[in-house]
Amino acid sequence: MKNNVKVQRAIANITQAELAEKIGVSRQTINAIEAGKYVPSTVLALKIAKLFEKSVNEIFELEATD
Amino acid sequence: MKTTYLFPHRFKKIGWLVFVPFAIISLLSLFIDLELDVLTVPVFCFIESGLMSGKPTYFGIIENNITNEILMIVLIISGLLVAFSREKIEDEMVEKIRLDSLVWATYFNYTLLLIAILFLYESSFFTAMSVNIASLLLFFIIRFNWMLYKTNKLSSDEE
Repeated sequence: MKNNVKVQRAIANITQAELAEKIGVSRQTINAIEAGKYVPSTVLALKIAKLFEKSVNEIFELEATD
Repeated sequence: MKTTYLFPHRFKKIGWLVFVPFAIISLLSLFIDLELDVLTVPVFCFIESGLMSGKPTYFGIIENNITNEILMIVLIISGLLVAFSREKIEDEMVEKIRLDSLVWATYFNYTLLLIAILFLYESSFFTAMSVNIASLLLFFIIRFNWMLYKTNKLSSDEE
């Protein structure tokens, strides 16, 4: 699964740590999501989308391998 | 998201402080006699097979040196605290790392046990079984903390 959390974060001008705190996870988790090493749960994806005021589909995208 | 069956984070430190010295002492006790005479006391038992005395005891009082018992109980409890206390931020990724590490440690532990069953006999096998009492916990603790460390290191290069 691909995502553009890093882009959204840049637009919103917040750090990984700030994003992490707002949605109640560790900064390492945000980092792993951005690096494509961790696929967040539906709840977490919804929280991220809500924070950036986007739909989940605008941030997360299926890949061919999924 | 709340994980069930985990201890509060503060128990992790207490666990480490007890687990490390007791792990070392327990390891030593496999090779040298650490039994303290003062710890030979009467204890209640369910079953004592009576290998030495020739007659078994059921639900009775026997004489026993409780050095081993103390070592094992403290080792297991402190190991459980280290292994299963919450991380400072126990989020869903930590849960995943925890589960993966537990699966890995279980396979690893039983692989070693299978090797021991195949190639160790008599008292050597008994020693292996003694190690096996705490080895699953130990392998899990090592694997879990190593994976956490790797994740932390990976994310230390934030802009």
